[in-house]
Amino acid sequence: MKKALSIAVCTAVMASMLAGCGNTAAPAASEAPAAAATEEAAPAETTDEAAPAEEASDEPVTLTLGIWPEDTLTADIEMHEGFVAKMAEIDPNVTCVPAYYKYSTDTFMPMVEAGTVPTIFETWFTEPQKLIRNGAVADITDELDARGWLDSMNPSIKALLSDENGRVYGIPRDGYALGLMLNVELFEEAGLVDENGYPIAPTTWEELAETAKTIKDATGAAGLCLLAKDNAGGWHFSNIAWAFGATLCTENEDGTFTANLASDEAIAAMEYVKSLKWDYDVLTADPTSEDWGTGFTQLGTGAAAMYIAANDAVNQPTQVNGLPVDKLAMTAIPAGPGGQYSLYGGTPYMFSKDATSAEINAALDYLELMGKAPVATDDAIAGMEADAQNKNAEGVPVIPRFPCWVDQDVLDAEAKIIEEYGNVDTALYQSYFDATSSDGLRLEEPGLTQDMYAELTKVLQAVITDKDADVAALMQTANDNYQALLDGE
Amino acid sequence: MKTKTKFKKRDLMGWLVMLPTLVLFAFYIWEPFFENIRLSLYTTVRYQTQDFVGLANYARVLKNPDFSAAFKNTFSYTFWSLIIGFLVPIILGILISETVHFKGLFRTGIYFPNIVPSIATIWIWNYFFTPGPTGVLNILLGKIGIEPLQWLNNTHWTIPLIIVTMTWKCAGSTALIYMANISNISPDLYEAATIDGATIWQRIRHITLPSVFGLAKTLLILQVISVFQILQEPMLLKNGGPNNASISLLMLQYRYAFRDFDFAGGAALSVMVALILIVLSGIYMKVTASKED
Repeated sequence: MKKALSIAVCTAVMASMLAGCGNTAAPAASEAPAAAATEEAAPAETTDEAAPAEEASDEPVTLTLGIWPEDTLTADIEMHEGFVAKMAEIDPNVTCVPAYYKYSTDTFMPMVEAGTVPTIFETWFTEPQKLIRNGAVADITDELDARGWLDSMNPSIKALLSDENGRVYGIPRDGYALGLMLNVELFEEAGLVDENGYPIAPTTWEELAETAKTIKDATGAAGLCLLAKDNAGGWHFSNIAWAFGATLCTENEDGTFTANLASDEAIAAMEYVKSLKWDYDVLTADPTSEDWGTGFTQLGTGAAAMYIAANDAVNQPTQVNGLPVDKLAMTAIPAGPGGQYSLYGGTPYMFSKDATSAEINAALDYLELMGKAPVATDDAIAGMEADAQNKNAEGVPVIPRFPCWVDQDVLDAEAKIIEEYGNVDTALYQSYFDATSSDGLRLEEPGLTQDMYAELTKVLQAVITDKDADVAALMQTANDNYQALLDGE
Repeated sequence: MKTKTKFKKRDLMGWLVMLPTLVLFAFYIWEPFFENIRLSLYTTVRYQTQDFVGLANYARVLKNPDFSAAFKNTFSYTFWSLIIGFLVPIILGILISETVHFKGLFRTGIYFPNIVPSIATIWIWNYFFTPGPTGVLNILLGKIGIEPLQWLNNTHWTIPLIIVTMTWKCAGSTALIYMANISNISPDLYEAATIDGATIWQRIRHITLPSVFGLAKTLLILQVISVFQILQEPMLLKNGGPNNASISLLMLQYRYAFRDFDFAGGAALSVMVALILIVLSGIYMKVTASKED
């Protein structure tokens, strides 16, 4: 009896486990599990509502919105609920499913394998090429072409979102161009304001060091928040290097790349950064612990007066970190002996590789409602207005976007809305917008850019933590490492 | 012939009892392990293998400019963890076992850091180690007139200090294991020793230490294996910096797989780590086994 019982138990355990195996193995084997799943999951209500519509022949479409705001942003959620309601009017076949997804590199690939990536999601500006190379995102060229959006996309930003055959895989949420954000409160406290009360912003890197010193001496707060924890350090540093006249990587005619990190100009730029720590002593306590997010905390909470950042992140110091909306200013990246340059790029929306054409189109419709598309329809303008209104209410500066679309109607509509809902003194941003419409705009360096940033960040860490660091030798090592990686491609 | 059949029948029951465990092991450990080896020999797109490339991924990983630093550091972590971390739990275990009053309080006290989530621990230490005048340790030093120190940013100290934080967190749980072991030692031995006039030091040296030796031997290799796979602490404290002073092999592997989506490279590196650990454990077993008898 006992024996029989244990055999039964063993068999049962085995069976349940084998069943488990079967289930786990299934999605891996099937190539398009999401499509099947979504069709199954399409709720009945859609079809009920859709029945009388003239597009009744259309298949029901489920649009999972990874761009849904996170739970704590209730005002943003309300705004999106408005978009969903409008979406239901326009195309009753589409069911919108909120699926807030904060992109992260350690969760994304498993989701791709499991087919659970939302139809549309937002990712970082560093990611598109990597995702395209890995076949992890959908090719949306045909959908964009049918809408005539391809030609309205800023060509350089389009290139960032395309593969080598010119197929396009994403559309820009915003363009960004780096500038220098200022905490106006600290400038006021240090007496660095002109007769009209505007902060006297540094226009060269030398001036920046002096300004930072004045602020540090007067207020005790750091003059500049420099990043040196991760690749964002190298990303920011490339702006300084350009101003000193460096070009960090060149593409050769045969398609290979030459690293150029050890030039006199690049070394001078790194020497300058070193002097910020050891001669001027104007940095935050530990730049090697500062990343993109902590930089905004330092600036927003008044622990640092200046920070290199882009116009699409003005909500970070204000809404997220509590700086009053009128105490944030933006100015151009300072100039150096080599000129004035601002790095620009785009923060993209991308699409699940399993999304069907109908799903992609639904997602593009949704973006149109949000006012994030190159169309100036009434709905799109209403979307832009809702966004501006929301920002206004949340204490986020309403300022012009960096133009990622070149459609004049859209630009005009945007300008009008900003005029109406603007909540900041545009003089506080003037030099930034002057610089970002000048010739000084520059795309990221070509060729394994993230690896270049990683090498530069290591040098930044060394010069900031070691007073006796040999900058030229460190830059030479970085250059050799970077070249080895470029050659290994 | 007959006995053989009988033996088989009896065996069947045993196998059946073991089967669920075997299947679980096969499914969760062996299959991923061999799959990982397979992955390391191919090029990959996402998790899918493409072309067989032999050992090319291994060669590529070895050529990574950060590999030598990660390799060296990983051994350095292991070395320092033995210097700083190995004896602490033994000492704690003996001290608390010898304590008469408030034993429970001390026992809870040393275990306490263990129940704090790792990320919280790391953040706490980060505030302590902040260089400049705002770090907790520098504030304390300032009270006695010492200039602020660089702490983790001094590359000579980065790894030993990270080991100190890990010891603070983990020593308590290991000490409990030692205490359980010590409490199993027959009190007769201590009584006899006391009657013979042995001091406390003699009792510890001749009774306690020999009794925990076998356990210490096992815990040592377990410690080596676990510290060799250090990832969280250097990643969250210093992101491998400054200038690679704290990068570990597993951090490099994490970057391959989860920053660059290069799963083949990550697999190759993890196979290398496994090989190093297998060899290290083998040597250790061999050396200590011959000494035992």
